[in-house]
Amino acid sequence: MASAPRPATFGGIPQILDVLKEQGYIADRALATSVHLSIVLNKPLLIEGEAGVGKTEVAKVMARALGTDLIRLQCYEGLDVHTALYEWNYQRQMLRIKLEEASLRPVEDKEHVIFSEPFLLKRPLLQAITAERAPVLLIDEVDRADEEFEAFLLEVLSDFQVSIPEIGTITARQIPYVVLTSNRTRELSDALRRRCLYLWIDYPSFEKELRIVHSKVPAINDRLAEQICAFMQLVRTVPLSKVPGIAETLDWSAALLALHREHLDAQAVEETLGCLCKDQEDLVRVRAQYLAPIVDAVRTAGPATDGWNPERIASLAAQLPKPR
Amino acid sequence: MRPGNLGANVTLFGRRLRGRGLLVGAAEIGDALRALTAVDIADREEVRAALRTVFTSSAPDLPVFEEEFRRFCAEAAGADAPPLPSAEDDGAQGPEGAAGDTERAELSVTEWSGDEPAPDDERSVPAYSPAEVRARKDFSAFSADDLTAISQLIMLIARRIATRLSRRMRSARRGTLVDLRRTMRRSLQFGGDAVELLWRRRRVRKSKLVLLCDVSGSMDIYSRFLVQFVYALQDALGRVESFLFSTSLTRVTDALDRRDIQSALAEASRRVPDWSGGTKIGASLKTFNERYGARLLDPRTIVVICSDGWDTGDLEILVDAMRALRARAGKVIWLNPLLGSPGYEPVTQGMSAALPYVDVFASAHSVRSLRELERHLRGPRPSPRARAALRASDAGGHGS
Repeated sequence: MASAPRPATFGGIPQILDVLKEQGYIADRALATSVHLSIVLNKPLLIEGEAGVGKTEVAKVMARALGTDLIRLQCYEGLDVHTALYEWNYQRQMLRIKLEEASLRPVEDKEHVIFSEPFLLKRPLLQAITAERAPVLLIDEVDRADEEFEAFLLEVLSDFQVSIPEIGTITARQIPYVVLTSNRTRELSDALRRRCLYLWIDYPSFEKELRIVHSKVPAINDRLAEQICAFMQLVRTVPLSKVPGIAETLDWSAALLALHREHLDAQAVEETLGCLCKDQEDLVRVRAQYLAPIVDAVRTAGPATDGWNPERIASLAAQLPKPR
Repeated sequence: MRPGNLGANVTLFGRRLRGRGLLVGAAEIGDALRALTAVDIADREEVRAALRTVFTSSAPDLPVFEEEFRRFCAEAAGADAPPLPSAEDDGAQGPEGAAGDTERAELSVTEWSGDEPAPDDERSVPAYSPAEVRARKDFSAFSADDLTAISQLIMLIARRIATRLSRRMRSARRGTLVDLRRTMRRSLQFGGDAVELLWRRRRVRKSKLVLLCDVSGSMDIYSRFLVQFVYALQDALGRVESFLFSTSLTRVTDALDRRDIQSALAEASRRVPDWSGGTKIGASLKTFNERYGARLLDPRTIVVICSDGWDTGDLEILVDAMRALRARAGKVIWLNPLLGSPGYEPVTQGMSAALPYVDVFASAHSVRSLRELERHLRGPRPSPRARAALRASDAGGHGS
């Protein structure tokens, strides 16, 4: 198995933090440490967390920090080896056969030609294995793929070699840096988990989300941004089938800004609730039960001089109406 | 962490985590040692992040890790070596607090993962409380003959359930799609003309089954039978999740996973605290949706509920829970043993409230009725008209 020497330019945790900042991603040291270890130990990094917390971004940051390519394999139910690994270029094979129709070469020779590397369509996994320079291979939403595919993936991640019957075994020139993400819609196998380093990304804290809002929606005023983030912290404590993530916070901030709102009030939230709740029943439930109490809590708590620390959020959340 | 003997300390720490159920072996301990050479070992936060990255492998591991890490640092601080620069105050805990902490951590893990509600009940609720009847019955008292006969039938049924069309392909003589790769290869023999088309066919694929069995007082005479039903399906299929409920919901997938049926039943009996108590179907289904719904339900999932519909709880909760369940699952089957008794009409309030959200309403009172159930477990959700017809025929048919 080929080893992957780290690029000489790679600057460790500080550099990862820099790249994160450049990309507008507000990150903590723990995240940077995990990315760093995945690079230096050359082990795949499994990232879990709820939808919309920025798991996929991490792979992009990693590629950027290493100055290398990002190859992405999006998983879905029914994803098979043909789509993930390789397929033959049938049109091109057909054309070659036609061109050689008149030639007297034996069939074995012709066959050998059309089943050679130039006729191979490389799908993400094969691309990653045959790349000249170790790329970052992002295997996105691996929990959506079937268990059979997971087993196949485990094999590839163990050996970094694949065998193609017509050509033989192809071994990685450079071991790719691998990032897997999962939304936990299905439990992954222990074997795959053991193969990987692990990083859990939680919903952001109040402070972190506030920084994200300010950096992505710079035109927003301080008070509104604080109220939005406080609202988000509280709304995530109520039982919803789709808990809003960072993307929803940003959409909502932009929407409130476009409506020229200076602060949160029940009417403004009511009008823009669709940015937060993407599920009809959630929408109805929040509107009927939680909207007014949360807006009240956010407004009466006022500007947070001491920050919205977790204890304060927990105590406010405890005062919200209990689910029926 | 005692800087004096890093290797021994990390090994000890890793072993402790393994003792708490984390996926830690020699390879992980090796990785941890390498990881510590790659971070600033004087920085406690970085050390913690590094060890966490290596030693944990799923979300429920995290609180266990944090707990053990704190404990480990506290012990190191109590020993001769100087403590690492402390980034937070909670690092200083005496070893005597450890046992209580462990228990608390376990509790928080269960809350966090929503995975194992049973041990919690076990500890905090006395076995015989006047409010809730938690009389325990010995599951293992089943006659071996019954068990064998029923299990055999259930195995048959279960194998039928286990097949469903999938997008994954396999070569076949007759199929639905042209296998281009093989066709092309064969065509070489004929100078490149695709004289013969080779096919591939959809490969069968298991569907997921979620079983929710009512084991409350009103269902008592059927519950033994139903638990066997659950068990047999569990045994024949890889992807079955089983739950028992009465006033609360208990996940028994793991308990029923045991090879030996006697110990499996004993284990399930031990886990269900309110066998033969009252029934809160709505609340139980709601708990299921909240804790397990996102992970277990998808359009390929068939949900089978076994209950008579005698709900002593709030009907609105039941309706909400059924609506949510049906929206996510591929198919909802309600088995009501009372449907087998002559002249039964689904008039209990709970039953009539739940019925609009049920795709198939059938009985489960006998081996024969279970055999009939088999056809419902095939294929996708029927059209509304077909469903109405099915329901009518089922309701009428079993009276005779």
